[in-house]
Amino acid sequence: MAEVREHPRPASAAADEAELVARLRAGDERAFESLVERYYGAMISVARGYVKTRDVAEEVVQEAWVGVLKGIDRFEGRSSLKSWIFKILVNTALTRGGREARTVPFSSVTPEEEDEPAVTPDCFRPPGEAFAGHWNAYPGDWSSVPEERLLGRETIDVVKRAVEELPESQRPVIAMRDIAGCSAEEVCDALGVSPGNQRVLLHRARSRVRAALEEHLDV
Amino acid sequence: MFESSEHITCREVVETVTEYFEGALRNDEAELFEQHLNFCEGCDWYVDQMRTTAESVGQVREEDIPPEARERLLSAFRDWRRSE
Repeated sequence: MAEVREHPRPASAAADEAELVARLRAGDERAFESLVERYYGAMISVARGYVKTRDVAEEVVQEAWVGVLKGIDRFEGRSSLKSWIFKILVNTALTRGGREARTVPFSSVTPEEEDEPAVTPDCFRPPGEAFAGHWNAYPGDWSSVPEERLLGRETIDVVKRAVEELPESQRPVIAMRDIAGCSAEEVCDALGVSPGNQRVLLHRARSRVRAALEEHLDV
Repeated sequence: MFESSEHITCREVVETVTEYFEGALRNDEAELFEQHLNFCEGCDWYVDQMRTTAESVGQVREEDIPPEARERLLSAFRDWRRSE
């Protein structure tokens, strides 16, 4: 496995992590399990951006955790543990993705992605008309949706499916940001995307999931 | 970034909401964005939808680890611990 380089970060949030790292080094199985539980789903989503099947993604995630364990003694805490784990995952997936003869050009956003509107253009008044570019009809007020519905199993399943159906370049970005709770810098660092492209990919991904939610909530 | 320096359209709000969330708009652009939200209920709701969307993706986290995958991971952990 390639050596993973760490990047500097602010000192905050490092304390909890330092404890977790110490427990991991000491061979505390509970510490390992809790880390796995926290990141497994997001790691699968990220891995799926690089390899063809769910089965291979699971193998990649397994291999990445072995890499994390082998490298934990060398982890110096200059980047977050999270960011370091995802970098190992991406390196593992790239190696595997190479073997699987599929690479995903994260560093470039496709022209379709650049132009893809977040909302279909006919939602807005056409150019030349009064109030061009303003809503034809307002989008729904989701604050009127009862919380049980907004956070219910059914809604979460809709979101989950929408994330699974995202283009391969968008899925890892939204998984790291919104599922794993990584910062923009951590995503750029692990996936090797520019800050501008990170934002475009995140915007497209969230816009698609929003559209799926809109259809489901029907407000 | 915006066509006019005086005001922005709903369409522009929709396309720049992530940049707004990410703090990537210039100060004057962020000001136009916020001014627009003050008088446009539709965009206020849209921005709220995008915020809710990001939060709801966060709810997906507890994807169950398949039992076999959990077993394989724990057994890799025990192998590693023995070899340390």
